[in-house]
Amino acid sequence: MLKDVTLGQFFPGNSILHRLDPRIKIIAVILFIIAVFTAKSAVSYGFLVLLLVGMVAISKISIRTVAKSIKPLLIIIIFTAVTNIFWTKGENLLWKWKSIEVYAEGLRAAALMVTRLITLITGTFVLLTYTTSPMALTDAIERLTSPLKKLGVPTHEFAMMMTIALRFIPTLIEETDKIISAQKSRGADFETGSLLKRAKAIVPILIPLFISAFRRADELASAMECRLYHGGEGRTKMKILKLHAYDFAALLFFVAVIAVTLLINKFLYI
Amino acid sequence: MLEFKNVTYIYGEGTPFQKKGLDDVSVKIEKGKVTGIIGHSGSGKSTLVQLMNALYKPSSGTVLLDGEDINKDAKTARDARFRVGLVFQYPEYQLFEETVGADIAFGPRNMGLSEAEIKDRVMNAARFTGLSDEILQRSPFELSGGQKRRCAIAGVIAMDPEVLVLDEPAAGLDPRGRSEILGGLMEYRKRRGNSLVIVSHSMEDIAEYSDNIIALSAGKILCSGTPHEVFSKFDILEESGLSLPEVTDVLHRLSRSGKSVNPSLYTVDEAFSELLPKVKK
Repeated sequence: MLKDVTLGQFFPGNSILHRLDPRIKIIAVILFIIAVFTAKSAVSYGFLVLLLVGMVAISKISIRTVAKSIKPLLIIIIFTAVTNIFWTKGENLLWKWKSIEVYAEGLRAAALMVTRLITLITGTFVLLTYTTSPMALTDAIERLTSPLKKLGVPTHEFAMMMTIALRFIPTLIEETDKIISAQKSRGADFETGSLLKRAKAIVPILIPLFISAFRRADELASAMECRLYHGGEGRTKMKILKLHAYDFAALLFFVAVIAVTLLINKFLYI
Repeated sequence: MLEFKNVTYIYGEGTPFQKKGLDDVSVKIEKGKVTGIIGHSGSGKSTLVQLMNALYKPSSGTVLLDGEDINKDAKTARDARFRVGLVFQYPEYQLFEETVGADIAFGPRNMGLSEAEIKDRVMNAARFTGLSDEILQRSPFELSGGQKRRCAIAGVIAMDPEVLVLDEPAAGLDPRGRSEILGGLMEYRKRRGNSLVIVSHSMEDIAEYSDNIIALSAGKILCSGTPHEVFSKFDILEESGLSLPEVTDVLHRLSRSGKSVNPSLYTVDEAFSELLPKVKK
């Protein structure tokens, strides 16, 4: 049952989006987010949506998967739409019932806000999470934050912690599954009873899980020490990130996207 | 009596990752007997075991306990969990209570027994598994590996199941721990007269203790029957990569080299009395 939970949203592939350097992708996402926030004209929003559709097509990720990325934030999106529709005051009154007024400006604001949210979410998912493996991502974060090392921030250690955490999620899920089965075999009942009773029923799962997590951490630390791991100092990489021409092209492309968005704002404001 | 009728179990059915765990398995676990299940990792041993107490629902086929489908509804499933006690591989990882005694009492308490009855059962289970009164008061996390294992097994024995199923009860223990645990289990079965199912990939353990053997390979039953029956089919066993008990292997080699010995024997004593007269000759 727990095995059905999908973790790590990475979809392996070989598109240009998959091959881009993860560092470039992180910067590209930031540039894309800036573009989305600078968009004011409906046309610039249209331009960004078009760009996003293009990226989804290139990445060969199914529309259904993309739609699934929006699902968890559906409530926020609906909430934003509703507040914008009913609380934006303007000049063109469309509909009135008692004290509830809906203006044309409200509808416009709601539509743009929802588009902004959706492009932000799907943009990050398509550019980063769906097309970049977690390992590549942590590696990129380490490299991008490496200037902070000079300020004494242990960036390598943070990246290592992230990598280990990601690595052990499936292991711990499997472990939880086993413990649940074992306690069920001893007649533990997780499904019926009051909320308090069910909360208490989790204790026989949590304690063994914590203990095994600590044991694993201990063993892993010993194993790493046995192989002379001593942190980031002087450590070399097996996979060295190398920038290609298309990485720079992608970077320029996203800078251009911001420029185009600004130009549309200025000359094609609708 | 526990009976599997054409049971198939598929992991992750309907997903791209689906994989057959068991394939059309029909088998009976006889009452009051020790049944040994052998097979390689991935042969379906653990799947079979988890179908026995309704933790898994068969994808097709039925699991019957005294003729009743254990997956009929939630009540029969829960009932099956009490009647078929399942001890998982490395059961010490399920311990959680403050004292060993309280941990053993977890199962009986879930059964809704009276405090007096629970206490009685904890004492009995501790005796069968060789845990002293002093240990019952200690934290399970202070115990040695073998003691933890015995504590976890006691937790299931305390539920007094009709069928006690153990997945690799002796895995990871030293020879002394092994024989203590397996010997204790045999003692327990002799006194209570209930059925015992032991899963192992150690041919020696299975050969020594089982009345019946089920050999699994790739989710299917390779052969089943008494140890004599199973070990006489050594060609089938060897073909699927299962080793014979060492004694049987020696006898088998002797018979292949032209000596007239019975190669289906599997204990040292049997082999001794088979070979001795021939050596004297």
